[in-house]
Amino acid sequence: MTAAPPTAPVPDRTVRVAGHRAGSVVRRRVARYVALYALALVFVSPLLYMLVTSFKTRADATGVTPSWIPDPFTTQAFQTLFSASDTPVLTWFANSMIAATANAVLVVATASMAAYPLARMQFRGKGIVFGLVVAMLLVPGVILVIPNYLIVSEIGWLNSLLAIIVPTAASAFGVFFMRQFFVNLPVELEEAALLDGANRWEVFVKIVLPLARPAMATLALLAFLTNWNDFLWPVYVLFSPETRTLPAGLATLQGANQVRYDLLMAGAVIASVPVMVLFSFLQRFIIEGVSRSGLKG
Amino acid sequence: MTATLPTDALATARASARGARRRRSPIDPAPATPWLFLAPFLLLFGTFVLLPAALGVWISLHDWDYTFPNHPFVGLENYQALIDPSSTASGPFWESMRATGIFTLASVPLLLVIPLLVAMMMNARFPGRNFLRAVYFAPFVLGVAVVSVLWRYLLDTNIGLVNHYLGLVGLPDATAWLTSLPWAWVALVGVTVWWTLGFNAVIYLAALQDIPAELYEAAHVDGASAWQRFWAVTFPGLKPVLMFVVVNTLILSANMFGQSYLMTEGGPGRSTRTAIYLIADTGLSSFQMGSAAAMSYILTVCLMILSAAIFWLFRDKDARRTGKKVRR
Amino acid sequence: MTNHTGRGRTVRAAALAATGALALAACSGGGDTPGQQQAAEFTGTYDGPEVTLSYWNGFTGGDGPFMQSMVDEFNAEHDNITVESNTIEWAEFYQKLPAAVTAGEGPDVGVMHIEQLSSNAVRQVIDPVDPLLEGIGLTADDFTQEIWDATEYEGQHYGVPLDVHSLAMYYNTEHFEEAGITEPPTDAESFGAALDALQEAGHEHPFWMPARWPAHLMFLSGVWQGGGEPYAADGASATFDSAEGVETLEWMRSMVDDGYSPASVDADAQYVAFKNGETSITFDGIWQINDLEESGLPYAAVPVPALLGEQATWASSHQFFLPHQNDPDEDKVAAAQVFVAWMSEHSGEWAGAGMIPARESVRTSGVLDGTVQEPIADAIDTMRFLPPVPGLGTIQAETLEVAVADGVLGDRAPDVALTEEAERATALMEENLARFGG
Repeated sequence: MTAAPPTAPVPDRTVRVAGHRAGSVVRRRVARYVALYALALVFVSPLLYMLVTSFKTRADATGVTPSWIPDPFTTQAFQTLFSASDTPVLTWFANSMIAATANAVLVVATASMAAYPLARMQFRGKGIVFGLVVAMLLVPGVILVIPNYLIVSEIGWLNSLLAIIVPTAASAFGVFFMRQFFVNLPVELEEAALLDGANRWEVFVKIVLPLARPAMATLALLAFLTNWNDFLWPVYVLFSPETRTLPAGLATLQGANQVRYDLLMAGAVIASVPVMVLFSFLQRFIIEGVSRSGLKG
Repeated sequence: MTATLPTDALATARASARGARRRRSPIDPAPATPWLFLAPFLLLFGTFVLLPAALGVWISLHDWDYTFPNHPFVGLENYQALIDPSSTASGPFWESMRATGIFTLASVPLLLVIPLLVAMMMNARFPGRNFLRAVYFAPFVLGVAVVSVLWRYLLDTNIGLVNHYLGLVGLPDATAWLTSLPWAWVALVGVTVWWTLGFNAVIYLAALQDIPAELYEAAHVDGASAWQRFWAVTFPGLKPVLMFVVVNTLILSANMFGQSYLMTEGGPGRSTRTAIYLIADTGLSSFQMGSAAAMSYILTVCLMILSAAIFWLFRDKDARRTGKKVRR
Repeated sequence: MTNHTGRGRTVRAAALAATGALALAACSGGGDTPGQQQAAEFTGTYDGPEVTLSYWNGFTGGDGPFMQSMVDEFNAEHDNITVESNTIEWAEFYQKLPAAVTAGEGPDVGVMHIEQLSSNAVRQVIDPVDPLLEGIGLTADDFTQEIWDATEYEGQHYGVPLDVHSLAMYYNTEHFEEAGITEPPTDAESFGAALDALQEAGHEHPFWMPARWPAHLMFLSGVWQGGGEPYAADGASATFDSAEGVETLEWMRSMVDDGYSPASVDADAQYVAFKNGETSITFDGIWQINDLEESGLPYAAVPVPALLGEQATWASSHQFFLPHQNDPDEDKVAAAQVFVAWMSEHSGEWAGAGMIPARESVRTSGVLDGTVQEPIADAIDTMRFLPPVPGLGTIQAETLEVAVADGVLGDRAPDVALTEEAERATALMEENLARFGG
């Protein structure tokens, strides 16, 4: 058996590993990619069907034989959603946008600030603070739901977007994530600046944060997505149609007596478009953020 | 994108004091400086994480009806009622714990294996690889609300796409996916796998890409079969992320709520009403917050024991491995 | 959805706490029942400054647009009052209203179902409306005895009745013609004959039996038809596992076993199937009338046949209520009363939503002539309501509905399911009696 010379720089290790059986391997490779693409198509077909259904009439959407082409093609479902006073989807959309954006900003700001001293400063109590942050990473969120409802009610935030924005912004994960990033930054620049007489805040804002942009972007995206998709909490703390976020609104669309699949799919499409757009432009950040969350540092 | 859990959290916590000393800054900060940086976070963290974690215990010791002005102290009665099989509370609670258990047992193995297969298929350079990676990840960026509403439609017994296609290929076309057992579980687990497999796949993929190609080569030279290569090279290469993936998947599965809330409404009967579902129902719909808080603590303790067991399992092996390395 | 806490000691603790609270109230000189107010005196008109009222209801179906047009009409007639509707699906409505009112985020006026009044009264989510009833001039004579009694809790009335709505039997008139059925069935015998005729005419599953909504309403109707009662009137025990209950659930299951219905009908699937012409007969609420009218389906509606004894049908009623206000705004309270009075007087228009006006004078004024629901309204004396027992709705969802679903799906034998769940329901009802100090 002859292996390829180990020094040759071959980019694809699959080819390299199997290089000695080139003919059948090429065929197998092609077959594999075709299979991968076919599988991927099946995999996303539910999302396509959602899109198709949102342009159907009510009767077409609940027809006995499902079809992939709306007949007739109509934007009736969207129009109904936009005009109905009890399902103000545009308001829900705005609420979700505001809440997710504000939450992401709050998470990134507080987590970066908190992570910096934990990464770079020595002080009494640091071990306790960091220990608490890590401990809370390990505690399931369930135990917070009931007491937080009471706390939010005490503050007077029930039925208000603040209840969606603020409590979940206490992100132990965010602090941990940013700290890992700061720890791995070279410390020399900061030390030089400190020796030149800059104060800690100036160092943080002018030197550390610009370097941390990729990490901040990733954290912001993860926070945005988490908040945009949050379900249990908004369902219970928001009461009126005008304060609801999209996921909570979607749940109310699924009415008790009549299932309007055309409306539901249109609502689902509206809830999906922004995250899908965000995802298609920034998927590198999101996917890398996720893959990094599993790896050390 | 829910709670994520870093692998080395504990180690880092322990090392934090030591670690920072390594990179001590030339100028020591004023005593207040670190606290000023920490203040905004600590305010949020204290109010919405630490305080509720403690307040929950207090609530669980009371007959706490949110709509009533008085909340009489009842000691451990809420816990006793959940444990005492003759009380009205314990039946539904353990039924819901059982539902959570079934879902976790069924979904975790699938969510560990299927994403790995996907990641291994994608671990090669080919045209459109990033695109495909994005496709498999895509459902995950949609929330549970969208996913559940969509699948409830697709799984409808009579007008759903799933039964329609099953019928076309000659399989039974009238399965009541959402209203009969065991199909409701098949549906809930299947939808969850479809929804979240991209998350674990992406993490696996990152770990696979860190495995040096030379190792595969060497294995090949040694004449190792694909199966042997997997156990000798791939699996050890996944070790660094495996604990995270296992614990994270476990906790997320045990926290399942939205899928059964929207797809099966806990049915048929009460069979797919998970513990979280019951806690939310009891505490936030019936306003029996004391009982709900007690439930959430019991569930939490169960989860923490499980996670601790997994931590211990992985830790132990890691330690042994490092030990060997040092000796060599 | 359950109320669970240890029983004996809780009661004692609650009693102690209550004594404490009373003592405190006595010290501070507060004489009234803490928190509860009577609706302020009703003057009939509102001359105050402009106010906007938040009006909560659950009319998410075909009835929604009718309610909205009535609200619009009211707004047009009243320059200084603007009513803003907040329509929330009913299940969510009952979950959120207590929280919202407790948190001071509640509405100024709203509509709820008659069987929910007592649950909300005991939690002080809603206030008594006796002065308002008096002000409008409504008395027991304006309603059927059943409705009037069901709005009362602990000697006070909590709702101003808007309508009555019951279960009805809908049938596809084309299918009936094909099967040669000339008269809609009225009893078990004619019902069975109709099903057989429909099957012979090629309608394989003429009557889809749902496991969830509205299956429990069919079950309740059956119990009442047989002469049984699902719950003891004093709210101390559940009796739906009686012989009448078992017989009803066995009959429901037999629709599947005898092949008239497919097994495991999804939530709402029976209604969708009826609209698609896949099934010939379905039992559903009269609130579906508008939706069916819109669909263009050839159909008719008649009272639910007496399948299990005498004619009797589950019914409910929409009731205007006044939410408890922690910090009442007198202008809004007065305006809300004007709104309720106006709606009650104009409840004839509400018939357009497929409903039956609750006020006898309105009902018999000819507004129902020629409507789809007219034949059903004629059977108003056979309509039955759930007793005003606090917390019953939640318990029913947890027990009776589960037993019915399991029975229909064949997961448990009807008598076993009913006995087990009735036992649970009784335990829960006892706990509630203790909790709510019945």
